[in-house]
Amino acid sequence: MIADRSIVVQDGIRLASPLAIIVATMLFFGGHNQPGGGFAGGLVLGAVVALRSATGLSVPLHPVRMMALGGVIIGGVALGPLVVGDVVLDQYIWETTLPVLGKVKAGTALIFDAGVVLVVLGLIVAMLDALAQGGEHRTTLRLDAEGDREADQ
Amino acid sequence: MLLWVVLGAHLAGIGLIMFAGGTQRRLDARAVFVVAALPALFATGASIRGLSQDTATTSRVAWVEGLDLVLALRLDALSALLGLIVAGIGVLVFVYSAGYFTESSAGLARFAATLSGFSASMIGLVWSDSIWTLFVFWELTSITSFLLVGHKHVDEAVQRSARRALLITASGGLALLAGLLLIADGDTGIALRDLEPTTGTAATVAAALVLIAAATKSAQIPFHVWLPGAMAAPTPVSAYLHSATMVKAGVIAVALFGPIFKDTDVWQPLGIAFGLGSMIWGAIGALRHVDAKLILAWGTISQLGLMIAVLATGSAKATFAGISILVAHAIFKAALFMVVGEIDVRTGTRDVRKLGGLRTSMPVAFWVCVVSGASMAGIPPLLGFPAKEAALEAALGVDGWQRVVLLVGVVGGSVLTVAYTTRFVLTVFGPSDSGEVTDVAPRRLPITAVTTLLAAASIVGFVALDWVGDGVRSAAVLLNPGSEVYSLIRWPGLKTAFVLSMVIIAAGIPLGWFLSRRTDDIPRPLGADGADRLVDEVLSGARRITGRVQHGSLPVYLMTAVVVASAASVPFIAAIDVDALRWTDGAVVPALGVLIVAGAIGTVRIPGRLGAALGLGSVGFGMAGVFVAQGAPDLALTQLLVETVVVVAFVIGLGRLSANFPPVGYVWRTLRMVVATGLGAAVSIGLAGAASKPSGSAPVSDFVDEAAATGGGNNVVNVILTDVRALDTFGEVVVLVAVAVGIVALAQSGRAGAGDDTDLDPEGADPEGTPARSVDEVAS
Repeated sequence: MIADRSIVVQDGIRLASPLAIIVATMLFFGGHNQPGGGFAGGLVLGAVVALRSATGLSVPLHPVRMMALGGVIIGGVALGPLVVGDVVLDQYIWETTLPVLGKVKAGTALIFDAGVVLVVLGLIVAMLDALAQGGEHRTTLRLDAEGDREADQ
Repeated sequence: MLLWVVLGAHLAGIGLIMFAGGTQRRLDARAVFVVAALPALFATGASIRGLSQDTATTSRVAWVEGLDLVLALRLDALSALLGLIVAGIGVLVFVYSAGYFTESSAGLARFAATLSGFSASMIGLVWSDSIWTLFVFWELTSITSFLLVGHKHVDEAVQRSARRALLITASGGLALLAGLLLIADGDTGIALRDLEPTTGTAATVAAALVLIAAATKSAQIPFHVWLPGAMAAPTPVSAYLHSATMVKAGVIAVALFGPIFKDTDVWQPLGIAFGLGSMIWGAIGALRHVDAKLILAWGTISQLGLMIAVLATGSAKATFAGISILVAHAIFKAALFMVVGEIDVRTGTRDVRKLGGLRTSMPVAFWVCVVSGASMAGIPPLLGFPAKEAALEAALGVDGWQRVVLLVGVVGGSVLTVAYTTRFVLTVFGPSDSGEVTDVAPRRLPITAVTTLLAAASIVGFVALDWVGDGVRSAAVLLNPGSEVYSLIRWPGLKTAFVLSMVIIAAGIPLGWFLSRRTDDIPRPLGADGADRLVDEVLSGARRITGRVQHGSLPVYLMTAVVVASAASVPFIAAIDVDALRWTDGAVVPALGVLIVAGAIGTVRIPGRLGAALGLGSVGFGMAGVFVAQGAPDLALTQLLVETVVVVAFVIGLGRLSANFPPVGYVWRTLRMVVATGLGAAVSIGLAGAASKPSGSAPVSDFVDEAAATGGGNNVVNVILTDVRALDTFGEVVVLVAVAVGIVALAQSGRAGAGDDTDLDPEGADPEGTPARSVDEVAS
């Protein structure tokens, strides 16, 4: 792999990682009023996480777990309003004033978006991990998946 | 209400058995049968109460409002009589089971719970008062009987038998559903007792379907092949399901639907053909086998055939006779099965050639068999005699061709019945082939008590014939009001039917005695083999098709998907309106278009993979530029990020591949060009078609206001995604997860071959990785 052999690429990835996390956070929180949102944030995070695990900079995450967690969050936001008698996916918005940030507005849509981030992140990592490992290290991914299942039980 | 309480009691009993049966160690494991017998006893009591009442008890619970679906139960003279048979024999079977099984028998709790579940289903079936309730319980009996036949599930032969029984009876269930849908569509209503007679094409088809369903359930030829195999079940199951209950469901269906369908062209001929054919063929089968239980199973096919033929005739007398035989048969056949089970557990064999000396070593069983067998053969003074007389009277009472056919069939079948009964008693209790005397284990009290009781019932039924006749008459009147005038007669006098009876007995006993001397080879179960082969062929055919379709070649998968998607765009050609299309919005978009086209041409012309990746990137970034120029920053951002991820994917993936694309053959290359051009044309057609039809003014302003007001955000796109149309996003998330699973699986399996994307040959793919192979492994 190109990244394995090139120290420039490795250092580039290392330096770009915090930057990418900042960009992803910005996209995620700014999404409600500016271009961006959960999907865009998830893409950025996913690309970086996949690069880092492919170059060995960090241990691979469990993409299946991330997708499952994202799905649970989304399902919770979707079904939550039913408990208090509202319709599915009804949104609640809170406004408050925080130091430094000033007036802040947040709603359950933000939690929903966080679920989207996790699902997209998991998707990208799963896809790129699968590409990186291909046929050679087939067993590792399969073992990962089994580990996931064991952990879930 | 009482009716639901009875069914609920069964459920409670099942729950108790499953909860306590597995853990309770201090009690005898056979205590589960006591628990299982209690709800059946309750149901027996409810049925007796229903018999003594003049008015019907009904109960309806709405199931799906608006669809006319109700769960309806009814306890009147007919359903009470049938319920008494089902529940009464159920109680006896549970007591018998306590003697049949030993404490160490495996899976007793499972067995008792399933048998109790079957009992509840069958009671629900005979009590049901709507065709849909009937259908639900009908299917439940199929499923529970499958579980019961497969009780000894580790044995492969048992698995095949259970599967065969399920496939045939469940197919019949589908036929029943189709038939019921056809009649429920008309004005006949769905309440079983209020159905109106119908005629016409739909009614004829429905009649045929219901008859086929009845024939599968009641093991009529050519669907009888599952019943002999079902003898693999423990004998209490055979005594219950294959004498009194499940196989009677088809007979009951013929009785219940007879009044509706009797005017259709198909009902009488088909019903009589099924019935008489099965009566003769079943009796012949019973004369050929040497396994005592199989003899009884084939005899059951024969007896059920008699009932179906008589009931399908539909006259008042025939209806009365059919119900009489149904009652008599439940009593004597249960006793006979139970005796065979007793012989099985006390001697270890059911082969009549090996059994010897049982007449002296098992005297109670012998006399039970003689009495019940004589009742089956229609010999006085037993309950089977007046029932058989009634059937002969019914056959004599009809007119036209039915009279000849019925008389010949019933008399011929009855002669054979007497013959196989004689052979059964002689071979089971007579000397063995080798002259040895079979060792017999000690008597088991529950078995002896139950079989004696059932044999006594055949005698008491004859003594108290007026009482039995009253019960049968009030049940038959509900099906055919003309049955009011008939009753069971103890001594008919020297009438035609009685003379026929005597001729039948006189001919049958010598025939049976003669055949009991012969020991032919046991016939191969050709029908059962055929049914099994059909199943095997379907399974291997499915494997072959899966192997062809799921060949594991990624390029072929991709091309298949692309060709189908391209074909889907063809209808949009008609939607294109050239005049409505704008060719450009200013100069920026055409400039970007040139860049995109150049990038695309470069991508397909460049021999190196890295160059192609860059060309693809320029197409993507050009598209992002178009989005910006058209005022869609969200789309542009997403496009840019996706391009970034694609670049990362190339960084990760390219290193594993060769620098250049491998050489491609002329045919394969041309094919790819055609398919790719087709997809490009398809997308262009779709876009042009969509652009030709501006759907009025865009609802932008509405969304902007709503986004700020209810969604609390100024980014309309994102508010739509997370709030206004959040349910769509929810669905897309699910799709994403499914896609991820698919991609991971494909990357793990499809690439396992040569890793060469020109690989078209399905056989070249790694067999371990292809889904076709894994299907094979699962199946084998």
